[in-house]
Amino acid sequence: MQEMLRVEKLKMHFGGLKAIDGLDLVVHDKETLGIIGPNGAGKTTLFNCICGVYKPTDGKIFLKDEEVQGKEPFEMARKGVARTFQISKPLRDISILDNVVAALGINEYTGFGSILKKSHKKEIVDKALEIIERTGLKEFKDKKAREVSLGYLRRLEIARALAINPLLIMLDEPCAGLSNFAINEVIDLVMQLKSEGKTIVLIEHNLPISMKVCDRLAVLNFGQKIAEGTPKEIQANPQVIEAYLGEEDDDHVNA
Amino acid sequence: MYFTVVAVNVGIFVLLALSLNIIIGYAGQSAMGHAAFFGIGAYTSALMTSTMGISFWISLPVALIVTGIIGAVLGLISIRLKDDFLAITTIGINFVVVAIFQYSEIFGASLGMTVSKPLFFGVKMTAPMYLTLIFILIVLTCLFINKMNKSWFGLALASIRNDEMAASSLGIDVNKYKVLAFTLGTAIAGLTGAVYAHFMTFIYSSDFAFIVSISIISMVVVGGIGTIKGAIFGAVLLGVAPELFRFLADYRMIVYGGLLVLMMRFQPQGLLGDNSFIMRNISKIFANIKKQKGGGQNAGNA
Ligand SMILES: Nc1ncnc2c1ncn2[C@@H]1O[C@H](COP(=O)(O)OP(=O)(O)O)[C@@H](O)[C@H]1O
Ligand SMILES: [Mg+2]
Repeated sequence: MQEMLRVEKLKMHFGGLKAIDGLDLVVHDKETLGIIGPNGAGKTTLFNCICGVYKPTDGKIFLKDEEVQGKEPFEMARKGVARTFQISKPLRDISILDNVVAALGINEYTGFGSILKKSHKKEIVDKALEIIERTGLKEFKDKKAREVSLGYLRRLEIARALAINPLLIMLDEPCAGLSNFAINEVIDLVMQLKSEGKTIVLIEHNLPISMKVCDRLAVLNFGQKIAEGTPKEIQANPQVIEAYLGEEDDDHVNA
Repeated sequence: MYFTVVAVNVGIFVLLALSLNIIIGYAGQSAMGHAAFFGIGAYTSALMTSTMGISFWISLPVALIVTGIIGAVLGLISIRLKDDFLAITTIGINFVVVAIFQYSEIFGASLGMTVSKPLFFGVKMTAPMYLTLIFILIVLTCLFINKMNKSWFGLALASIRNDEMAASSLGIDVNKYKVLAFTLGTAIAGLTGAVYAHFMTFIYSSDFAFIVSISIISMVVVGGIGTIKGAIFGAVLLGVAPELFRFLADYRMIVYGGLLVLMMRFQPQGLLGDNSFIMRNISKIFANIKKQKGGGQNAGNA
Protein backbone atom coordinates (compact mmCIF):
# COMPACT_ATOMS: atom_id res chain seq x y z
CA MET A 1 0.00 0.00 0.00
CA GLN A 2 1.24 3.48 -0.85
CA GLU A 3 1.91 5.98 1.87
CA MET A 4 0.14 9.30 1.87
CA LEU A 5 1.62 10.69 5.07
CA ARG A 6 4.45 9.60 7.34
CA VAL A 7 5.25 11.14 10.70
CA GLU A 8 8.67 10.22 12.17
CA LYS A 9 9.76 10.72 15.78
CA LEU A 10 7.65 13.86 15.98
CA LYS A 11 8.06 16.05 19.03
CA MET A 12 6.13 19.18 19.89
CA HIS A 13 7.07 20.67 23.22
CA PHE A 14 5.56 23.79 24.76
CA GLY A 15 8.12 24.76 27.37
CA GLY A 16 8.18 21.76 29.65
CA LEU A 17 4.94 20.32 28.31
CA LYS A 18 5.49 17.46 25.86
CA ALA A 19 2.27 17.67 23.83
CA ILE A 20 3.71 15.28 21.21
CA ASP A 21 6.59 13.17 22.38
CA GLY A 22 8.27 10.99 19.76
CA LEU A 23 5.32 9.99 17.61
CA ASP A 24 5.55 7.71 14.57
CA LEU A 25 2.54 7.41 12.35
CA VAL A 26 1.72 6.35 8.79
CA VAL A 27 -1.41 7.13 6.81
CA HIS A 28 -1.86 4.94 3.74
CA ASP A 29 -3.36 6.07 0.48
CA LYS A 30 -7.18 5.86 0.46
CA GLU A 31 -7.50 4.69 4.05
CA THR A 32 -9.43 6.26 6.90
CA LEU A 33 -7.24 6.48 9.97
CA GLY A 34 -8.84 7.32 13.28
CA ILE A 35 -6.93 9.12 16.03
CA ILE A 36 -8.38 8.52 19.46
CA GLY A 37 -7.22 9.34 22.93
CA PRO A 38 -8.31 11.26 26.00
CA ASN A 39 -8.56 15.04 26.16
CA GLY A 40 -5.15 16.67 26.09
CA ALA A 41 -3.52 13.60 24.51
CA GLY A 42 -2.07 15.73 21.71
CA LYS A 43 -4.47 14.95 18.87
CA THR A 44 -5.13 18.53 17.78
CA THR A 45 -1.46 19.37 18.27
CA LEU A 46 -0.58 16.55 15.86
CA PHE A 47 -2.90 18.12 13.25
CA ASN A 48 -1.39 21.53 13.86
CA CYS A 49 2.10 20.12 13.28
CA ILE A 50 1.09 18.37 10.07
CA CYS A 51 -0.71 21.49 8.77
CA GLY A 52 2.15 23.83 9.55
CA VAL A 53 0.39 25.80 12.28
CA TYR A 54 3.08 24.66 14.74
CA LYS A 55 6.73 24.17 13.82
CA PRO A 56 7.64 20.82 15.39
CA THR A 57 10.36 20.81 18.06
CA ASP A 58 11.86 17.76 16.37
CA GLY A 59 11.09 14.96 13.94
CA LYS A 60 10.02 14.70 10.32
CA ILE A 61 6.80 14.74 8.36
CA PHE A 62 6.54 13.40 4.80
CA LEU A 63 3.65 14.01 2.43
CA LYS A 64 4.01 11.35 -0.25
CA ASP A 65 7.80 11.51 -0.51
CA GLU A 66 8.30 15.17 0.24
CA GLU A 67 9.65 16.40 3.56
CA VAL A 68 7.16 19.03 4.74
CA GLN A 69 7.73 19.74 8.43
CA GLY A 70 7.99 23.43 9.21
CA LYS A 71 6.16 24.56 6.07
CA GLU A 72 3.60 27.35 6.33
CA PRO A 73 -0.11 26.44 6.66
CA PHE A 74 -0.97 27.99 3.28
CA GLU A 75 1.75 25.88 1.63
CA MET A 76 0.40 22.69 3.21
CA ALA A 77 -3.09 23.58 2.00
CA ARG A 78 -1.76 24.11 -1.53
CA LYS A 79 0.06 20.78 -1.34
CA GLY A 80 -3.31 19.16 -0.77
CA VAL A 81 -3.65 18.83 2.99
CA ALA A 82 -7.12 19.98 4.03
CA ARG A 83 -8.13 20.29 7.64
CA THR A 84 -11.16 21.21 9.67
CA PHE A 85 -10.91 22.94 13.02
CA GLN A 86 -12.13 21.50 16.30
CA ILE A 87 -13.41 24.99 17.09
CA SER A 88 -15.08 26.06 13.84
CA LYS A 89 -13.42 28.92 12.05
CA PRO A 90 -16.01 30.25 9.62
CA LEU A 91 -15.43 33.44 7.64
CA ARG A 92 -18.26 35.00 9.60
CA ASP A 93 -19.18 38.12 7.71
CA ILE A 94 -19.37 36.55 4.25
CA SER A 95 -21.94 34.09 2.94
CA ILE A 96 -21.71 30.30 3.07
CA LEU A 97 -21.34 30.35 -0.71
CA ASP A 98 -18.46 32.84 -0.50
CA ASN A 99 -16.79 30.69 2.17
CA VAL A 100 -16.72 27.78 -0.25
CA VAL A 101 -15.70 29.97 -3.20
CA ALA A 102 -12.79 31.28 -1.10
CA ALA A 103 -11.60 27.70 -0.68
CA LEU A 104 -11.99 26.96 -4.39
CA GLY A 105 -9.57 29.83 -5.01
CA ILE A 106 -6.73 27.93 -3.36
CA ASN A 107 -4.46 28.22 -6.39
CA GLU A 108 -5.49 31.77 -7.29
CA TYR A 109 -3.96 33.64 -4.36
CA THR A 110 -0.86 34.71 -6.23
CA GLY A 111 -0.48 38.29 -5.01
CA PHE A 112 -1.17 41.55 -6.85
CA GLY A 113 -2.04 39.60 -10.00
CA SER A 114 -5.10 38.21 -8.25
CA ILE A 115 -6.72 41.68 -8.42
CA LEU A 116 -7.22 41.14 -12.13
CA LYS A 117 -8.98 37.79 -11.78
CA LYS A 118 -12.68 37.74 -10.96
CA SER A 119 -13.53 35.27 -8.20
CA HIS A 120 -17.20 34.49 -8.80
CA LYS A 121 -16.96 33.12 -12.34
CA LYS A 122 -19.82 30.90 -13.35
CA GLU A 123 -17.87 27.64 -13.31
CA ILE A 124 -16.52 28.45 -9.84
CA VAL A 125 -19.96 29.30 -8.45
CA ASP A 126 -21.37 26.12 -10.01
CA LYS A 127 -18.64 24.07 -8.40
CA ALA A 128 -19.27 25.76 -5.05
CA LEU A 129 -23.00 25.06 -5.33
CA GLU A 130 -22.28 21.41 -6.07
CA ILE A 131 -20.17 21.11 -2.88
CA ILE A 132 -22.78 23.05 -0.91
CA GLU A 133 -25.46 20.69 -2.17
CA ARG A 134 -23.61 17.53 -1.15
CA THR A 135 -22.72 18.88 2.28
CA GLY A 136 -26.36 19.77 2.91
CA LEU A 137 -25.89 23.52 3.11
CA LYS A 138 -28.08 24.50 0.16
CA GLU A 139 -30.80 26.35 2.04
CA PHE A 140 -28.19 28.48 3.83
CA LYS A 141 -25.99 29.31 0.87
CA ASP A 142 -26.78 33.04 0.95
CA LYS A 143 -26.74 33.34 4.73
CA LYS A 144 -23.75 34.91 6.39
CA ALA A 145 -21.69 32.26 8.17
CA ARG A 146 -22.30 34.01 11.50
CA GLU A 147 -26.03 33.37 11.09
CA VAL A 148 -25.95 29.56 10.92
CA SER A 149 -25.76 27.10 13.79
CA LEU A 150 -22.81 24.98 14.92
CA GLY A 151 -23.98 21.86 13.08
CA TYR A 152 -23.95 23.69 9.77
CA LEU A 153 -20.64 25.37 10.53
CA ARG A 154 -19.16 21.88 10.94
CA ARG A 155 -20.46 20.98 7.51
CA LEU A 156 -19.08 24.24 6.18
CA GLU A 157 -15.66 23.20 7.50
CA ILE A 158 -15.97 19.93 5.57
CA ALA A 159 -17.28 21.76 2.48
CA ARG A 160 -14.27 24.07 2.50
CA ALA A 161 -11.93 21.13 2.97
CA LEU A 162 -13.46 19.40 -0.06
CA ALA A 163 -13.24 22.59 -2.10
CA ILE A 164 -9.46 22.66 -1.97
CA ASN A 165 -9.55 19.30 -3.77
CA PRO A 166 -7.24 17.65 -1.25
CA LEU A 167 -5.02 14.58 -1.25
CA LEU A 168 -5.59 14.21 2.46
CA ILE A 169 -8.56 15.34 4.56
CA MET A 170 -7.98 15.81 8.27
CA LEU A 171 -11.11 16.17 10.40
CA ASP A 172 -10.76 17.35 14.00
CA GLU A 173 -13.74 16.10 16.03
CA PRO A 174 -16.33 16.93 13.39
CA CYS A 175 -19.13 15.51 15.55
CA ALA A 176 -18.32 17.15 18.86
CA GLY A 177 -21.18 19.14 20.33
CA LEU A 178 -23.70 18.04 17.70
CA SER A 179 -27.12 16.44 18.19
CA ASN A 180 -27.47 12.75 17.35
CA PHE A 181 -29.26 13.64 14.16
CA ALA A 182 -26.50 16.01 13.05
CA ILE A 183 -23.84 13.45 14.06
CA ASN A 184 -25.39 10.85 11.79
CA GLU A 185 -25.42 13.28 8.91
CA VAL A 186 -21.74 14.07 9.40
CA ILE A 187 -20.94 10.34 9.62
CA ASP A 188 -22.85 9.73 6.37
CA LEU A 189 -20.83 12.46 4.73
CA VAL A 190 -17.53 10.97 5.93
CA MET A 191 -18.60 7.49 4.77
CA GLN A 192 -19.42 8.96 1.39
CA LEU A 193 -15.95 10.54 1.10
CA LYS A 194 -14.45 7.24 2.14
CA SER A 195 -16.35 5.34 -0.54
CA GLU A 196 -14.99 7.80 -3.10
CA GLY A 197 -11.48 6.69 -2.15
CA LYS A 198 -10.45 9.83 -0.26
CA THR A 199 -7.65 9.56 2.30
CA ILE A 200 -8.95 10.68 5.68
CA VAL A 201 -7.54 11.22 9.16
CA LEU A 202 -10.32 11.53 11.70
CA ILE A 203 -9.94 12.67 15.28
CA GLU A 204 -12.99 11.38 17.07
CA HIS A 205 -13.33 11.20 20.81
CA ASN A 206 -16.43 9.02 20.58
CA LEU A 207 -15.29 5.38 20.19
CA PRO A 208 -18.38 3.84 18.58
CA ILE A 209 -18.17 6.48 15.85
CA SER A 210 -14.49 5.96 15.10
CA MET A 211 -14.90 2.17 15.22
CA LYS A 212 -17.66 2.44 12.68
CA VAL A 213 -15.96 4.84 10.29
CA CYS A 214 -12.25 4.01 10.42
CA ASP A 215 -10.17 1.25 8.81
CA ARG A 216 -7.45 1.63 11.43
CA LEU A 217 -7.13 3.42 14.74
CA ALA A 218 -4.14 4.97 16.47
CA VAL A 219 -4.45 5.62 20.18
CA LEU A 220 -2.65 8.62 21.66
CA ASN A 221 -1.96 9.26 25.31
CA PHE A 222 0.37 11.92 26.72
CA GLY A 223 1.70 12.68 23.25
CA GLN A 224 2.69 9.08 22.52
CA LYS A 225 1.11 6.35 20.47
CA ILE A 226 0.12 3.57 22.85
CA ALA A 227 -1.58 1.33 20.32
CA GLU A 228 -2.44 1.00 16.68
CA GLY A 229 -4.54 -1.46 14.70
CA THR A 230 -7.95 -2.31 13.35
CA PRO A 231 -10.93 -1.30 15.47
CA LYS A 232 -11.25 -4.92 16.63
CA GLU A 233 -7.62 -5.13 17.73
CA ILE A 234 -7.88 -1.82 19.55
CA GLN A 235 -11.00 -2.87 21.37
CA ALA A 236 -9.17 -5.92 22.69
CA ASN A 237 -5.91 -4.17 23.61
CA PRO A 238 -5.45 -4.18 27.41
CA GLN A 239 -3.32 -1.01 27.42
CA VAL A 240 -6.05 0.84 25.56
CA ILE A 241 -8.72 -0.46 27.87
CA GLU A 242 -6.74 0.82 30.80
CA ALA A 243 -5.85 4.23 29.39
CA TYR A 244 -8.96 5.01 27.49
CA LEU A 245 -11.81 2.55 27.51
CA GLY A 246 -11.59 2.05 31.25
CA GLU A 247 -11.87 5.74 31.75
CA GLU A 248 -14.87 5.74 29.46
CA ASP A 249 -16.48 3.05 31.66
CA ASP A 250 -15.88 5.18 34.73
CA ASP A 251 -17.66 8.00 32.97
CA HIS A 252 -20.65 5.76 32.48
CA VAL A 253 -20.63 4.73 36.13
CA ASN A 254 -20.50 8.35 37.18
CA ALA A 255 -23.21 9.35 34.75
CA MET B 1 -14.26 79.85 -4.93
CA TYR B 2 -14.83 79.10 -1.27
CA PHE B 3 -17.09 76.23 -2.23
CA THR B 4 -14.45 74.82 -4.56
CA VAL B 5 -11.76 74.97 -1.89
CA VAL B 6 -13.97 73.16 0.60
CA ALA B 7 -14.88 70.61 -2.07
CA VAL B 8 -11.21 69.91 -2.85
CA ASN B 9 -10.47 69.45 0.84
CA VAL B 10 -13.41 67.11 1.26
CA GLY B 11 -12.32 65.23 -1.87
CA ILE B 12 -8.87 64.76 -0.36
CA PHE B 13 -10.46 63.31 2.76
CA VAL B 14 -12.59 61.01 0.59
CA LEU B 15 -9.44 59.63 -1.05
CA LEU B 16 -7.75 59.20 2.32
CA ALA B 17 -10.80 57.44 3.77
CA LEU B 18 -11.13 55.15 0.73
CA SER B 19 -7.46 54.21 0.91
CA LEU B 20 -7.41 53.62 4.67
CA ASN B 21 -10.52 51.51 4.24
CA ILE B 22 -8.54 49.03 2.12
CA ILE B 23 -6.32 48.37 5.13
CA ILE B 24 -8.72 48.55 8.06
CA GLY B 25 -12.02 47.80 6.36
CA TYR B 26 -11.19 45.08 3.84
CA ALA B 27 -8.05 43.54 5.30
CA GLY B 28 -9.11 44.18 8.92
CA GLN B 29 -5.74 45.54 10.07
CA SER B 30 -5.66 48.24 12.74
CA ALA B 31 -3.55 50.87 11.00
CA MET B 32 -3.53 54.08 13.00
CA GLY B 33 -0.90 56.16 11.22
CA HIS B 34 -2.36 56.79 7.78
CA ALA B 35 -1.47 60.50 7.80
CA ALA B 36 2.23 59.54 7.76
CA PHE B 37 1.82 58.13 4.25
CA PHE B 38 -0.28 61.10 3.17
CA GLY B 39 2.72 63.17 4.29
CA ILE B 40 5.32 60.97 2.60
CA GLY B 41 3.51 61.47 -0.71
CA ALA B 42 3.17 65.20 -0.11
CA TYR B 43 6.86 65.74 0.73
CA THR B 44 8.06 63.38 -2.03
CA SER B 45 6.19 65.30 -4.71
CA ALA B 46 7.04 68.69 -3.20
CA LEU B 47 10.70 67.76 -3.24
CA MET B 48 10.44 66.70 -6.88
CA THR B 49 8.62 69.75 -8.20
CA SER B 50 9.89 72.52 -5.97
CA THR B 51 13.48 71.47 -5.28
CA MET B 52 14.30 69.41 -8.38
CA GLY B 53 12.07 71.18 -10.87
CA ILE B 54 10.34 68.03 -12.13
CA SER B 55 6.79 68.23 -13.51
CA PHE B 56 3.86 67.83 -11.10
CA TRP B 57 2.35 65.24 -13.43
CA ILE B 58 5.41 63.04 -13.12
CA SER B 59 5.53 63.57 -9.37
CA LEU B 60 2.02 62.12 -8.99
CA PRO B 61 2.83 58.53 -10.00
CA VAL B 62 6.25 58.77 -8.33
CA ALA B 63 4.61 59.82 -5.03
CA LEU B 64 2.24 56.86 -5.42
CA ILE B 65 5.06 54.39 -5.99
CA VAL B 66 7.53 55.78 -3.43
CA THR B 67 4.89 55.88 -0.71
CA GLY B 68 3.73 52.39 -1.66
CA ILE B 69 7.28 51.07 -1.36
CA ILE B 70 7.80 52.73 2.03
CA GLY B 71 4.38 51.42 3.07
CA ALA B 72 5.40 47.91 1.97
CA VAL B 73 8.66 48.02 3.91
CA LEU B 74 7.02 49.33 7.09
CA GLY B 75 4.23 46.81 6.51
CA LEU B 76 6.74 43.97 6.29
CA ILE B 77 8.31 45.06 9.57
CA SER B 78 5.08 45.33 11.52
CA ILE B 79 2.82 42.80 9.80
CA ARG B 80 3.33 39.92 12.19
CA LEU B 81 1.98 42.11 14.98
CA LYS B 82 -1.65 41.73 15.89
CA ASP B 83 -4.36 44.28 16.61
CA ASP B 84 -3.28 46.50 19.49
CA PHE B 85 0.43 45.97 18.79
CA LEU B 86 -0.03 46.88 15.15
CA ALA B 87 -2.11 49.90 16.22
CA ILE B 88 0.60 51.15 18.56
CA THR B 89 3.37 50.49 16.05
CA THR B 90 1.58 52.44 13.32
CA ILE B 91 0.96 55.33 15.74
CA GLY B 92 4.70 55.26 16.43
CA ILE B 93 5.44 55.31 12.69
CA ASN B 94 3.23 58.39 12.36
CA PHE B 95 5.18 60.25 15.05
CA VAL B 96 8.57 59.24 13.65
CA VAL B 97 7.65 60.28 10.11
CA VAL B 98 6.34 63.67 11.28
CA ALA B 99 9.54 64.17 13.29
CA ILE B 100 11.63 63.45 10.18
CA PHE B 101 9.70 66.12 8.26
CA GLN B 102 10.08 68.54 11.12
CA TYR B 103 13.82 68.14 11.63
CA SER B 104 15.19 67.50 8.10
CA GLU B 105 16.60 70.50 6.27
CA ILE B 106 15.58 69.12 2.86
CA PHE B 107 11.94 69.14 4.00
CA GLY B 108 12.23 72.73 5.19
CA ALA B 109 12.49 71.52 8.78
CA SER B 110 10.42 73.64 11.16
CA LEU B 111 9.73 76.28 8.48
CA GLY B 112 7.73 73.88 6.31
CA MET B 113 7.98 73.70 2.53
CA THR B 114 6.72 76.10 -0.09
CA VAL B 115 5.44 74.16 -3.06
CA SER B 116 5.50 75.66 -6.54
CA LYS B 117 2.21 75.92 -8.41
CA PRO B 118 2.02 73.28 -11.12
CA LEU B 119 1.13 74.04 -14.71
CA PHE B 120 -1.44 72.30 -16.82
CA PHE B 121 -0.67 72.90 -20.52
CA GLY B 122 1.11 76.12 -19.64
CA VAL B 123 -1.56 77.52 -17.32
CA LYS B 124 -1.33 77.57 -13.54
CA MET B 125 -3.67 75.00 -11.96
CA THR B 126 -6.81 76.65 -10.58
CA ALA B 127 -9.07 75.35 -7.82
CA PRO B 128 -11.68 73.99 -10.27
CA MET B 129 -8.91 72.11 -12.05
CA TYR B 130 -7.84 70.56 -8.77
CA LEU B 131 -11.45 69.65 -8.08
CA THR B 132 -11.65 67.93 -11.46
CA LEU B 133 -8.39 66.10 -10.80
CA ILE B 134 -9.57 64.96 -7.35
CA PHE B 135 -12.87 63.87 -8.79
CA ILE B 136 -11.15 61.78 -11.44
CA LEU B 137 -8.88 60.21 -8.81
CA ILE B 138 -11.89 59.37 -6.62
CA VAL B 139 -13.69 57.73 -9.53
CA LEU B 140 -10.57 55.73 -10.48
CA THR B 141 -10.04 54.66 -6.85
CA CYS B 142 -13.67 53.53 -6.53
CA LEU B 143 -13.45 51.58 -9.78
CA PHE B 144 -10.25 49.97 -8.58
CA ILE B 145 -11.68 49.03 -5.17
CA ASN B 146 -14.78 47.68 -6.83
CA LYS B 147 -12.70 45.49 -9.11
CA MET B 148 -10.56 44.41 -6.16
CA ASN B 149 -13.63 43.37 -4.18
CA LYS B 150 -14.84 41.13 -6.98
CA SER B 151 -11.45 39.48 -7.40
CA TRP B 152 -9.57 36.69 -5.64
CA PHE B 153 -7.54 39.45 -4.02
CA GLY B 154 -10.68 40.87 -2.40
CA LEU B 155 -11.76 37.43 -1.24
CA ALA B 156 -8.32 36.83 0.26
CA LEU B 157 -8.60 40.08 2.24
CA ALA B 158 -12.12 39.17 3.39
CA SER B 159 -10.84 35.78 4.56
CA ILE B 160 -7.95 37.34 6.47
CA ARG B 161 -10.23 39.92 8.08
CA ASN B 162 -12.48 37.13 9.32
CA ASP B 163 -10.01 34.53 10.50
CA GLU B 164 -6.33 34.38 9.70
CA MET B 165 -5.96 30.71 10.54
CA ALA B 166 -8.93 29.75 8.39
CA ALA B 167 -7.59 31.93 5.57
CA SER B 168 -4.22 30.20 5.63
CA SER B 169 -5.91 26.79 5.61
CA LEU B 170 -7.44 27.85 2.27
CA GLY B 171 -4.04 28.51 0.71
CA ILE B 172 -3.87 32.24 1.40
CA ASP B 173 -0.45 33.62 2.32
CA VAL B 174 -1.80 35.83 5.09
CA ASN B 175 1.32 37.91 5.73
CA LYS B 176 1.88 38.57 2.05
CA TYR B 177 -1.69 39.75 1.50
CA LYS B 178 -1.59 41.97 4.56
CA VAL B 179 1.54 43.67 3.20
CA LEU B 180 -0.09 44.02 -0.22
CA ALA B 181 -3.19 45.65 1.32
CA PHE B 182 -0.91 47.96 3.28
CA THR B 183 1.00 48.80 0.10
CA LEU B 184 -2.16 49.65 -1.85
CA GLY B 185 -3.68 51.77 0.90
CA THR B 186 -0.51 53.71 1.63
CA ALA B 187 0.24 54.23 -2.08
CA ILE B 188 -3.14 55.87 -2.67
CA ALA B 189 -2.61 58.03 0.44
CA GLY B 190 0.76 59.10 -1.02
CA LEU B 191 -0.85 60.07 -4.32
CA THR B 192 -3.43 62.09 -2.39
CA GLY B 193 -0.62 63.80 -0.49
CA ALA B 194 0.97 64.90 -3.75
CA VAL B 195 -2.25 66.60 -4.86
CA TYR B 196 -2.71 68.14 -1.41
CA ALA B 197 0.79 69.62 -1.31
CA HIS B 198 0.36 71.38 -4.65
CA PHE B 199 -3.14 72.54 -3.93
CA MET B 200 -2.07 74.07 -0.60
CA THR B 201 1.25 75.40 -2.04
CA PHE B 202 2.66 75.16 1.47
CA ILE B 203 3.09 72.09 3.64
CA TYR B 204 4.17 71.77 7.20
CA SER B 205 4.92 68.62 9.23
CA SER B 206 1.87 69.04 11.49
CA ASP B 207 -0.42 68.71 8.43
CA PHE B 208 0.34 64.99 8.71
CA ALA B 209 0.24 64.57 12.48
CA PHE B 210 -1.39 61.70 14.34
CA ILE B 211 -4.49 63.80 14.86
CA VAL B 212 -5.04 63.73 11.09
CA SER B 213 -4.84 59.92 11.17
CA ILE B 214 -7.55 59.96 13.83
CA SER B 215 -9.73 62.19 11.62
CA ILE B 216 -9.41 59.73 8.73
CA ILE B 217 -10.20 56.78 10.99
CA SER B 218 -13.25 58.63 12.32
CA MET B 219 -14.50 59.13 8.78
CA VAL B 220 -14.17 55.46 7.91
CA VAL B 221 -15.73 54.31 11.17
CA VAL B 222 -18.60 56.81 11.12
CA GLY B 223 -19.45 56.12 7.49
CA GLY B 224 -19.17 52.37 7.68
CA ILE B 225 -16.07 50.25 7.73
CA GLY B 226 -15.47 48.07 4.68
CA THR B 227 -17.78 49.78 2.19
CA ILE B 228 -17.08 52.37 -0.52
CA LYS B 229 -20.26 54.34 0.16
CA GLY B 230 -19.52 54.40 3.89
CA ALA B 231 -16.00 55.79 3.45
CA ILE B 232 -17.24 58.48 1.06
CA PHE B 233 -20.21 59.38 3.25
CA GLY B 234 -18.07 59.57 6.40
CA ALA B 235 -15.45 61.76 4.72
CA VAL B 236 -18.05 64.13 3.30
CA LEU B 237 -19.99 64.30 6.57
CA LEU B 238 -17.00 64.96 8.79
CA GLY B 239 -15.26 67.07 6.16
CA VAL B 240 -18.22 69.39 5.55
CA ALA B 241 -19.68 69.64 9.07
CA PRO B 242 -16.94 71.94 10.47
CA GLU B 243 -17.43 74.25 7.45
CA LEU B 244 -21.19 74.41 7.88
CA PHE B 245 -21.08 74.91 11.60
CA ARG B 246 -18.17 77.25 12.08
CA PHE B 247 -18.32 76.93 15.85
CA LEU B 248 -17.64 73.20 15.40
CA ALA B 249 -14.30 73.83 13.72
CA ASP B 250 -12.58 74.72 16.98
CA TYR B 251 -13.93 71.62 18.65
CA ARG B 252 -13.28 69.33 15.68
CA MET B 253 -11.24 66.84 17.66
CA ILE B 254 -13.74 66.65 20.51
CA VAL B 255 -16.50 66.00 17.99
CA TYR B 256 -14.50 63.36 16.12
CA GLY B 257 -13.39 61.67 19.32
CA GLY B 258 -16.91 61.72 20.74
CA LEU B 259 -18.33 60.34 17.49
CA LEU B 260 -15.76 57.53 17.49
CA VAL B 261 -16.77 56.50 21.00
CA LEU B 262 -20.48 56.71 20.21
CA MET B 263 -20.15 54.75 16.97
CA MET B 264 -18.13 52.00 18.62
CA ARG B 265 -20.71 51.75 21.36
CA PHE B 266 -23.93 51.94 19.34
CA GLN B 267 -23.21 51.34 15.69
CA PRO B 268 -19.84 49.67 15.19
CA GLN B 269 -20.67 48.82 11.57
CA GLY B 270 -20.92 52.57 10.78
CA LEU B 271 -23.86 54.64 9.59
CA LEU B 272 -23.94 53.05 6.14
CA GLY B 273 -22.27 49.77 7.05
CA ASP B 274 -23.66 46.33 6.52
CA ASN B 275 -26.75 45.83 8.72
CA SER B 276 -26.52 49.34 10.24
CA PHE B 277 -29.62 51.17 11.46
CA ILE B 278 -29.81 53.31 8.32
CA MET B 279 -29.17 50.48 5.87
CA ARG B 280 -31.74 48.25 7.55
CA ASN B 281 -34.35 50.97 7.17
CA ILE B 282 -33.39 51.74 3.60
CA SER B 283 -33.70 48.08 2.67
CA LYS B 284 -37.05 47.96 4.50
CA ILE B 285 -38.28 50.91 2.49
CA PHE B 286 -37.15 49.27 -0.74
CA ALA B 287 -38.81 46.00 0.28
CA ASN B 288 -42.04 47.89 0.95
CA ILE B 289 -41.92 49.65 -2.40
CA LYS B 290 -41.42 46.30 -4.10
CA LYS B 291 -44.26 44.78 -2.14
CA GLN B 292 -46.59 47.65 -3.03
CA LYS B 293 -45.68 47.37 -6.67
CA GLY B 294 -46.14 43.62 -6.60
CA GLY B 295 -49.43 44.03 -4.70
CA GLY B 296 -50.66 46.57 -7.24
CA GLN B 297 -50.04 44.18 -10.10
CA ASN B 298 -51.83 41.37 -8.33
CA ALA B 299 -54.81 43.65 -7.69
CA GLY B 300 -54.83 44.51 -11.37
CA ASN B 301 -54.89 40.85 -12.31
CA ALA B 302 -57.73 40.05 -9.96
N1 LIG C 1 -0.14 26.51 21.71
C1 LIG C 1 -0.01 25.79 22.84
N2 LIG C 1 0.71 26.26 23.88
C2 LIG C 1 0.84 25.55 25.02
N3 LIG C 1 0.28 24.35 25.22
C3 LIG C 1 -0.46 23.82 24.22
C4 LIG C 1 -0.65 24.51 22.99
N4 LIG C 1 -1.43 23.75 22.18
C5 LIG C 1 -1.71 22.65 22.89
N5 LIG C 1 -1.14 22.67 24.12
C6 LIG C 1 -1.20 21.64 25.15
O1 LIG C 1 -0.87 20.41 24.54
C7 LIG C 1 -1.63 19.37 25.11
C8 LIG C 1 -2.35 18.63 24.02
O2 LIG C 1 -3.41 19.44 23.54
P1 LIG C 1 -4.31 19.03 22.30
O3 LIG C 1 -3.45 18.61 21.20
O4 LIG C 1 -5.24 20.16 22.05
O5 LIG C 1 -5.12 17.79 22.89
P2 LIG C 1 -6.32 16.98 22.27
O6 LIG C 1 -5.83 15.58 22.18
O7 LIG C 1 -7.44 17.10 23.26
O8 LIG C 1 -6.68 17.57 20.96
C9 LIG C 1 -2.57 20.01 26.12
O9 LIG C 1 -2.01 19.86 27.39
C10 LIG C 1 -2.61 21.44 25.70
O10 LIG C 1 -2.85 22.28 26.79
MG1 LIG D 1 -8.38 18.49 20.27
